[in-house]
Amino acid sequence: MTTRAGHVRRIDVLAVAAALALTLSGCGSKGTQNQAGTGDTLNLGASMSLSGSLEKEGKLTQQGYDYCVNTINAKGGFKVGAQTLRLHIDYQDDQSQPDTAGQLVDQFNDKGYKLILGPYGSATTGAAMPVIERNGQVMVDSSGSDDKLFTKGYQRTFAVLSPASVYAASIVNAINELATPKPGSIVFLAADDGFSKTVAAAGEARAKDLGFIVLPGHQFPAGATDVSSALTKIKPSKPDVIVGSVHLAEGIAIVKQAAELGVKPAGGFAETVAPPTPDFVQTLGNKANGVLSSSQWVPEVKGSEAFFGSAADYRDGFRAAVGHEPEYHNAEATAACLAMVLAVREAGSTDPDKVRNALAALDEQSFFGPLKFNDKGENVTKPMSVVQIQDGKLVTVWPKDQAAGRLVWPGASG
Amino acid sequence: MSSFWQATIYGLLQGGLLAMIAVGFSLVWGVMNIINLSHGAYVLLGAYTAWELHAAWGLDPLLGAAAGGTAMFVVGYAVQRLLVNRIVNAPIFLTLLLTFGLQLVLVQGMAVLFTADYRSIATSYASESFGIGDVRVPYGRLLAFGVAAAATAALVLFARRSRTGIAILATGMDRTAARLMGINARHVYALTAGIAAALAGAAGAMVGLVGTFSPPDAARFTLLSFVISVLGGLGNMYGALLGGLVLGVVQAWAGQYLPGTWVNAVAFAVLVGVLIVRPAGLAGRAFYEARVEAA
Amino acid sequence: MSRLLVTLISTAVVVGMIALPSQLYTGQVRVVTAVLMFVALAQAWNIIGGFTGYACFGQVAFFGIGGYTTAVLMEHANWSFWWALPVSAAGCAMFAGLIGLPLLRLRGHYFAIATLGVAEGMREVITNLGPLTGGGAGITVPTVAGRGTPWLGNDGFYLLFLALAVLAVAVAVLISRSRFGYGLRAINQDEDAAAAAGVNTTRAKVAALSVSAAITALVGSAYAFQQITIYPQRLFDVDITVTMIVMVVIGGAGTVLGPLVGAVGLQFVSEYLRQAYPQEHILVLGAVIVLVVLLFPAGLLTAARDAVSERRISLLETIRAYRL
Repeated sequence: MTTRAGHVRRIDVLAVAAALALTLSGCGSKGTQNQAGTGDTLNLGASMSLSGSLEKEGKLTQQGYDYCVNTINAKGGFKVGAQTLRLHIDYQDDQSQPDTAGQLVDQFNDKGYKLILGPYGSATTGAAMPVIERNGQVMVDSSGSDDKLFTKGYQRTFAVLSPASVYAASIVNAINELATPKPGSIVFLAADDGFSKTVAAAGEARAKDLGFIVLPGHQFPAGATDVSSALTKIKPSKPDVIVGSVHLAEGIAIVKQAAELGVKPAGGFAETVAPPTPDFVQTLGNKANGVLSSSQWVPEVKGSEAFFGSAADYRDGFRAAVGHEPEYHNAEATAACLAMVLAVREAGSTDPDKVRNALAALDEQSFFGPLKFNDKGENVTKPMSVVQIQDGKLVTVWPKDQAAGRLVWPGASG
Repeated sequence: MSSFWQATIYGLLQGGLLAMIAVGFSLVWGVMNIINLSHGAYVLLGAYTAWELHAAWGLDPLLGAAAGGTAMFVVGYAVQRLLVNRIVNAPIFLTLLLTFGLQLVLVQGMAVLFTADYRSIATSYASESFGIGDVRVPYGRLLAFGVAAAATAALVLFARRSRTGIAILATGMDRTAARLMGINARHVYALTAGIAAALAGAAGAMVGLVGTFSPPDAARFTLLSFVISVLGGLGNMYGALLGGLVLGVVQAWAGQYLPGTWVNAVAFAVLVGVLIVRPAGLAGRAFYEARVEAA
Repeated sequence: MSRLLVTLISTAVVVGMIALPSQLYTGQVRVVTAVLMFVALAQAWNIIGGFTGYACFGQVAFFGIGGYTTAVLMEHANWSFWWALPVSAAGCAMFAGLIGLPLLRLRGHYFAIATLGVAEGMREVITNLGPLTGGGAGITVPTVAGRGTPWLGNDGFYLLFLALAVLAVAVAVLISRSRFGYGLRAINQDEDAAAAAGVNTTRAKVAALSVSAAITALVGSAYAFQQITIYPQRLFDVDITVTMIVMVVIGGAGTVLGPLVGAVGLQFVSEYLRQAYPQEHILVLGAVIVLVVLLFPAGLLTAARDAVSERRISLLETIRAYRL
């Protein structure tokens, strides 16, 4: 490579680049295109984990959104003022990365998509929220539940789901009310991501309030498939209940490795997030039985509205359309999409400010329970349900008005 | 004290499996000076093969390991012969880049083909364990450890005793000389890659037996293979086994005596430390020069 | 052609780039900002990986350290971003010098693995320094009124990353023409010969790594400010290192223009694929990388240059040279 020859070609390329830049500056204009309100279709944007570490959860969320679109369109769409609109969701892959999720929300804004459905997970949602705020868009969040997201004063994001702080606390409440003999000691094992730590801290606080002995907890890296050291550490103190504040991979590892290591709590295991996912029972088989979990949605939830009917109707409709039982990630997503549709209908317009105000004032009963937001945009009215795996099936055991079966206690099998 | 022994035993068993994941990676690196970034994807392909066979016919993961290994031998051979051999003489970035691209295709392909569900091969025995005093020894991990040790031993025997094995080692030491001796280097390289992939595939079945897997795990297996190969030293067949055991035990001890989240930091500190002090690994010498100033 | 013309054209391009955002939508500005970020990163990697031939697989460590230094200084010490930015770069250059001394004695893949180990290890350290860094839950840079530096806005960050990209390219140009740069190339060709010819190889290599690290840290610092909340998983993501390497190698390692072309090309292609095929884009991208490596192992730029200047298709020759 001779330097001399290199110069000439550098110039050529630079000239082309300059020409390109000038051409670009001739066309286009600052602002937004409007592709969102074309004809009789309302386009929503959704940045989604279609690949990367959260692909599994992202796909579940996408199923929930798609079911919402298909159901509403099958009913002929929905009335907005004098018009009847059909629904369409435009997906982009954020590869489970927060920075990409933020960038995609900006790109949706370019296309004039002011109404956004949330990505999967607290980190991606957290990255999308300030962008939404800046662009004057509106987002309904289906899965980002870390309480910290809602302490930053954002006004344009609304979460249909219960916040992270009640995930483990509701399990503790259920054990306190239902378990006999009442267990003495509880230990919390947590993944080290923000969401899981918030969940564990709130759970520990609740357990102390209720008079349980809370043993010193342990953490492991998020996504760990080997949690044996945490289990070995807690084994000598013989906790009655082991609560895992985890996602799927760590949740499966806790139960699997506890069996290997002979860690047998007198009461049983409880975990957030993991057990309601079908993979949990499929991979653990019998060992899954007795594990308690909290769930954002169960088929026994009270309330209904015109599009999806009751929670039982939702389950049946979803199963018929998608081919498997809906789990709570599916239901959260459908509920977020539904909240958006209801707010647009209420506002009588797709104008983002009007939709934002309609969401803030929303107070509807649905298959997902009450859709109602506090001034931070969190849904604190909706109760969190507690389920237990019995014979490989999820059985709702708490709160009492939703219970479909009795708590089996002690839960641990063998 | 019993928790110390528990951690040690568990770490050793875990280390055996890690060794089996890494041994093929180390072989390819040692013989061809190629870092195969799609190695982790091979592990997963083996795991999916065993899982499918178990789901369809209830085949035990031990037999699944044989099937997964065979299937991956074919894949590994073909990939080397058709793709990687074309750029073996290029600067090292290129082989890295090629295998990185392959990894993207394989991982995303698996996600499409098998979905991103978490899977595990559920057997009646894998999570059961027997006790020595207070220390529990799980059957599944013991079995995986046994398979790993046997596979490594078989590899050593094959490499030292069989004509093909000696041809592989000879090609690794000096390719030009080996070719002059009438060795078909293209075939030998492909064979080496095939054997490495077969071991990875069989290890994948064992991963499915004792743990869970999903497509995004591929990168983690590749990274572990890196660490273990370096710890053990390249070109030494027992090196990977040693590296795996060391890593397993160090991680178990770190998990026991430090806050649980420090485990990985310790593993990488050991890696960098070993590289600086003994770049040829804890055991033996590598085929390829490791250092500028000779150690 | 004269140097004057080169300067004129380069200036014209930069001026054109400064004017560009006024013609784009917000999201497009962000896409171009990301391109500029990777131009700077690829060029930084090019200094150690391309010129010197040391495949630094842990480059993202410098990105992450730069980002976290900035975030911590802004959050806990109430520094202005404009002070945190250069201090992060200087600190990271020193860190690179320190690890460079032992690690740069390693050759080939061993250096690659050792730096990879440093990057992965740094991520774990940052994750575990919870009180300082927020751990796995991330750290948020103060950007609200009264505290910290006001956020620059999409156009502001565009200009910041443009400045960093220009800086990185300028540094690469200077190095490529300097005595220092010839020393690095000599090390790349044959290190023992370079030492014999009087190049102080250790000093040259450590200097190259430090410069490369400083630029990478500047980018990481700006990125942290742009993202507001950062997480160790992303700031030390090995994919960022791999992306830099892919860009440099596809464009042509060791040239100034190659990484530029590689970064712009790859970033636009992957952005296009993402939008056109949201479900399959990674698969397609992987296949594209495999094909490019097999067809243009010496880099797109080298292949194009040979085809134009010497009127020969170097394709077959390179392929013959590299295959077994």
